[in-house]
Amino acid sequence: MQYALILDGVSKHFGSFTAVSNLSLQVPKGCIYGFLGQNGAGKTTTIRMVMSIFHPDSGRISVLGQPDAATVKDRLGYLPEEKGLYKKMKTAEIVAYFGKLKGMDSRTANLRAKELLIRYGLGDWLDKKCEAMSKGMGQKVQVLGTIIHEPELVILDEPFSGLDPVNRDLMRDLILDMKRQGRTVIFSTHGMEHAEQICDYVMMIHKSKLQFAGTLSQIKQGRDLGIQLDYDGDGDQLQHLPGAARVNDHGKHAEIFLQPGKDPQQALRWLLDHVTVKRFDYREPSLHEIFVRTVDEANQKLATAGVER
Amino acid sequence: MANKTLLVAQREYLENVRTKTFWIGILIVPLLIGVMVGASALLAKLKQVQRYTVVDLGGGDLLARAEREFRQGDAKAVFQLLAKAKDDPKLQELQRKVGATGDGKEPSGEQMLAIFDWMQAQDPAVLAKFADLQTSKQYDYLPAAELGIAEIGSEAGQQELNRRVQKGDLFAYFVLGDKPQESTTDFRYVSNNLTDDSLRSAYENALTRIVQKDRIAEAGIAPKVATHIQQRVEFQKQQVDKTGATAEVKRENVLDKWAPVGFVYFLWMAIFSIANLLLTNTIEEKSNRIIEVLLSSVSPHQLMQGKIWGIAATGLTIVGTWVGFGLLAGWLVPQFLGDTSGGMMGMLFTALGNSGYLLAFVVYFLGGYLLYAAVLVAIGSVCNTLKEAQNLMQPVMMVLMVPLLAMVFIGQEPNGLVAKVMSFIPLFTPFTMMNRAGGPPETWEYVVTSVLLVVTIWLVMKGAGKIFRVGVLMTGNPPKLKEIFSWLRQS
Repeated sequence: MQYALILDGVSKHFGSFTAVSNLSLQVPKGCIYGFLGQNGAGKTTTIRMVMSIFHPDSGRISVLGQPDAATVKDRLGYLPEEKGLYKKMKTAEIVAYFGKLKGMDSRTANLRAKELLIRYGLGDWLDKKCEAMSKGMGQKVQVLGTIIHEPELVILDEPFSGLDPVNRDLMRDLILDMKRQGRTVIFSTHGMEHAEQICDYVMMIHKSKLQFAGTLSQIKQGRDLGIQLDYDGDGDQLQHLPGAARVNDHGKHAEIFLQPGKDPQQALRWLLDHVTVKRFDYREPSLHEIFVRTVDEANQKLATAGVER
Repeated sequence: MANKTLLVAQREYLENVRTKTFWIGILIVPLLIGVMVGASALLAKLKQVQRYTVVDLGGGDLLARAEREFRQGDAKAVFQLLAKAKDDPKLQELQRKVGATGDGKEPSGEQMLAIFDWMQAQDPAVLAKFADLQTSKQYDYLPAAELGIAEIGSEAGQQELNRRVQKGDLFAYFVLGDKPQESTTDFRYVSNNLTDDSLRSAYENALTRIVQKDRIAEAGIAPKVATHIQQRVEFQKQQVDKTGATAEVKRENVLDKWAPVGFVYFLWMAIFSIANLLLTNTIEEKSNRIIEVLLSSVSPHQLMQGKIWGIAATGLTIVGTWVGFGLLAGWLVPQFLGDTSGGMMGMLFTALGNSGYLLAFVVYFLGGYLLYAAVLVAIGSVCNTLKEAQNLMQPVMMVLMVPLLAMVFIGQEPNGLVAKVMSFIPLFTPFTMMNRAGGPPETWEYVVTSVLLVVTIWLVMKGAGKIFRVGVLMTGNPPKLKEIFSWLRQS
């Protein structure tokens, strides 16, 4: 298999703080890869190293087959987490400017900028200044600036944050479009539902260390099955379910894990007596559950390690 | 690679050219010069006419003679105007009275008297029409009759005069003693304005001349002899020119030596304001969070260089326009004032248009800008707000104040020890060498200081690059100086 990105034992420290520790990862070409992790886990640092904004203290990074990412900068597209624009520049100008910075010639960049803006519904804004736009529109312009030069690898840091549902869908479609065109997309997110919906692969990093990586089914394989429940009624009741090990109650939806050897059928019977069951599923855990559990387990491990020391 | 630097610079330049700051920068210098030229004329116009009267206790013709002597300058100006009498009936009338056309060099004593008589008879408004009548415009003599004081020499009359001075109706009054030939110790000048002494000193000079003339006549000394005795010693100002011969010092020579001081001032303004533009620009970009997008396409080095040169181009455009204005004025103004080739303005603008100074100005602007730009871009890269930057700017400002404070001193001693030492401190080199341009410094000094300056710029740029690379992605509190030095030590 060909890889768009290979990280091999990459570490990065800032003073005494370890941001990324011995991270190894392969991102196959043409896939959508989700980077998961809490705030400050090391996702952005990893991405910045891939973009050669930072240099790793140790380990090797190969981007698009090149050992030095700086040489392929023009074939990468990057949308940082903190998204900014030049307020005084016109939207068409700024999108074209990003293209030119990636080595496009001026004419092509200008034409393509207009074309993209029109295609994504910003045709009326071509000659307007960026400061006049709403946050969502600004973010759209940013994304267009990221992909104007048709990059082979696109890295989006938190592309969904701060978007309304319509724009979220638009962003999702954009990412899927890019996959269809054969590009590789890496994005980081806190929204597990997005990762679950569109990612081929996910990885999770916690406190600078890689926790898991692989396809969604690989990650879910072998994990405890759980009850996925849609319900109406008093959610507090769920806590009293006999034989329940963990209950993640979201108000209308709950994810329930049973103690080993307990029968989900009995649980269903009990549930029918206590709340109005709308949907009942017994299946592998959600990414959300895996994420939360991984964080818990990792923190426990760190705590015991601290006690032993 | 260089291509991307150029792109950043180009964008920076275009964005700046579209701002107000740019146009203000372009217009400020011609405006300043205009204000400097216009302000003195305007202030003279705005100055209130000082009304005064004279009490002559002697009762002779001293008062009348004093007034004449005092207004002699005006009479001469009126006499010159006779050359243009064709257009003005009033002046034609005077021409008949005086019997001269004014084309001659100097009016005779009799002609002066005729002009005085005529002037006395004229409405002040008519006299004011003649722009050159400085004395008439500034000082207005009110005779006792006009003031409505009958016995002006009496005790009561003086009390009345005091009252008017107190009220502000009168600016001042003079009391002339009755025996001027014997003693002038009882001459008095009464005014409550203690700061503007011009009326008193001008009147004093006029009276001194009269009293001296009278005393000379009384002693039976021939006026010629008297003039000879009274002649002051005056050194003829000379300088040694390039060939080693002595030559007369003209006023334009002096102006030429002072012109660099003016250039230093503009140089300072240009460097400071344009480097400051870079600072605010960097902070804005950083707080805008656009930096990271840019860094995914260009290296920090390219970004920094692009910004520095883009703004350098902005600055050069501004400074180039100034130089253009200077050249134009240097050529145009002497043309306008062609008939009075000795006019101050003409010489000033000739000095301004001195191509050697202009070249030095542009070169030292670029050198000074690059040096301070590197420092300011580094400061900008570690700050998130202008307020944070102001703290870090304080030491820079203190350094920048030095050449400004030394400006006049170095102008007086362009090859003195202080000037020489400062020339070799790269932070001051652009200003000091510009300041010394009238000296001028020796060739080896130009060479050595320039090499020092270029090496320093290179070193500071390198250091700034290291700070910029790390600082530009930092958020939160600005780093401590210790941290910044540790970045500098990294390769």
